[in-house]
Amino acid sequence: MNAVAKTYQKGEIPGLIAIRASACKGCDACQRYCPTGAITGSFGATHGIDVDLCLSCGQCLISCPFDAVYETDDAVDQVIANLRDKSVSVVGIIAPAVRVAIGEEFGMKTGSLVTGKLYGSMKKAGFEILDNNFAADLTIMEEGSELISRARHAVFGEKSAHGEPIGPLPQLTSCCPAWVRYVETQCPALIPHLSSAKSPQQMAGTVAKTYGTKVWNKPASQIFTVGIMPCTAKKFEASRPEFTSAYEFNKKQNRETGPAYPDVDVVLTTRDLARLFKKMKIDLAKEADYSPDILFAEYSGAGTIFGNTGGVMEAAVRTAYAVLTGEELANVEFKPVRGLKGVKSASVTLKDAKYGKDVTINLAVVHDMARNIKPIVDDVLAGKSPYHFIEVMNCPAGCINGGGQPIDKSGSSWVEAIRPLFAWK
Amino acid sequence: MSHDKMILKHPLSVRMFHYFLILSFLPLAVTGVLLYFKPLSDAAMHLTMQIHAAAGVALTIACASFFFLAYDRVVLFIKRVFSVSLADLKWFAVLGGYPQKLILRKKVPVPPMGKYNSGQKLFGIFVLIGGSLLILSGWILWGFPHAMPRGFVSLMGDVHLIAGIVLTLFLCVHLFLGVYMFDDFKAMILHGKIPYEEAREMSSLWVRKEVIPISENKC
Repeated sequence: MNAVAKTYQKGEIPGLIAIRASACKGCDACQRYCPTGAITGSFGATHGIDVDLCLSCGQCLISCPFDAVYETDDAVDQVIANLRDKSVSVVGIIAPAVRVAIGEEFGMKTGSLVTGKLYGSMKKAGFEILDNNFAADLTIMEEGSELISRARHAVFGEKSAHGEPIGPLPQLTSCCPAWVRYVETQCPALIPHLSSAKSPQQMAGTVAKTYGTKVWNKPASQIFTVGIMPCTAKKFEASRPEFTSAYEFNKKQNRETGPAYPDVDVVLTTRDLARLFKKMKIDLAKEADYSPDILFAEYSGAGTIFGNTGGVMEAAVRTAYAVLTGEELANVEFKPVRGLKGVKSASVTLKDAKYGKDVTINLAVVHDMARNIKPIVDDVLAGKSPYHFIEVMNCPAGCINGGGQPIDKSGSSWVEAIRPLFAWK
Repeated sequence: MSHDKMILKHPLSVRMFHYFLILSFLPLAVTGVLLYFKPLSDAAMHLTMQIHAAAGVALTIACASFFFLAYDRVVLFIKRVFSVSLADLKWFAVLGGYPQKLILRKKVPVPPMGKYNSGQKLFGIFVLIGGSLLILSGWILWGFPHAMPRGFVSLMGDVHLIAGIVLTLFLCVHLFLGVYMFDDFKAMILHGKIPYEEAREMSSLWVRKEVIPISENKC
């Protein structure tokens, strides 16, 4: 870790990803995946990471063939200690991409959907369950409504209901923490374009420590929220000092007099959760399916598809359709934004029932930021972007291939055609 | 055949290939050791890797050229190094008589050998297989570490390391014995020929079965 990290707020985790010099062969594989050129060291020399440029996305970690890249933050033992403390309710916030990946860590077939077994294993470990799909539904309602608000403002000059400023178009998604940090550190002029909606993880943490106090009948200070994510950057996101909304709310409600607490206390990656289960002698593959009878485990298909590239956009279009037209979409599948093409674009024309006019929205979906984001960002900065709404996910294919997912030795994160890149410089 | 005659052991194509091997494999071995231990600065390690990659390309071109331009020699070489007999076991039992000669100054009976002795045949097998693995794994590690399955690239890393260590160790022995057998050294580096008497002693089977006087060569 750098002695002086300049691009972090107080409290944030700097240097989440590091390189073990003894294992690094200087092959440059990691550099191919880094969206910001944060990997230092010439071809052949031991590599390092420029903490200030690093987005904590972990793509270098899951792509290094020699296991030289590692995470410096490990909350597994802290979570186990809280699980053993009966005065604390430990809330596991399970991201959609975790349930289709964690089975691999227990010898199950790649891609097995193990929602029931995951719930069962978490219950056995002592977690309360808050499915992040539930929070993703909240996010998409916020983000979809915000898009409509920005579009109506741009087309019809509509003002916001409460008088606050309305952000410009194109609206950029804000649920990928690596992307948000990219905007903040590489192109801060785009910050107003970012959706003001928090990510599902952060919404879930806030809900758990506000509404959840009634569900679990505990004060927020005794609710320990654990993001269970496919993503290493979510650890960074949870550490951001501005994410204390639950504390602020509870304080205003005179329900809080103690010290401030974060909305999400710690984050475990999919790999971390598998390690936690193994430490607690829980074999997920052998667990029976379990279905918790709780509102926090209810969700729509919109939240479910968040983990794939195009998923947020597809969910947003469904929401926008329903809000603008006042009708439910007959066919909820929006295929132009699916698939692994680096940048996907589409146009949708919707009838705005409020104004009685057709509104055409140009959409773009970007993933694999290391290869695809630069021209999109340059166009927005130059005011030449043809799009009104752009979904960005840092990792190739989206969260499903996040830096915190199980490492599949039979694959790589490369989603383009196989082509040689002979390192020299 | 006259006793002061020289016989051709290494034809021009083989000598040329050997020159290219010297020019490419020696830098590869030296830079390979440096890359493993990483004792130098960032800039120096970078230069080391560039030399390693450039020498690797040179080695690949040399091997491919020899394979296509002197295919008959490649076939002969493969046939010779893979022809194993009981005599090879006997040769290894006394290690070709070299330790006795070098340490005890004593001459022990050694089984008759072909063009290559058993040690050279073993070296040839390692060079053939190890060299092919080194070249293949080297290209993958250089050009495709990002796009190949992670476990496969890791395996290629191990293969490259092990083959590199084995061939570098063999190289040390080869260099020592190459200089020790000075007539053979001169033949490979200069004119390709060794004295008939030495060939009859060191490679008696080859001389008896394969070497023919030029006067008898009808071609």
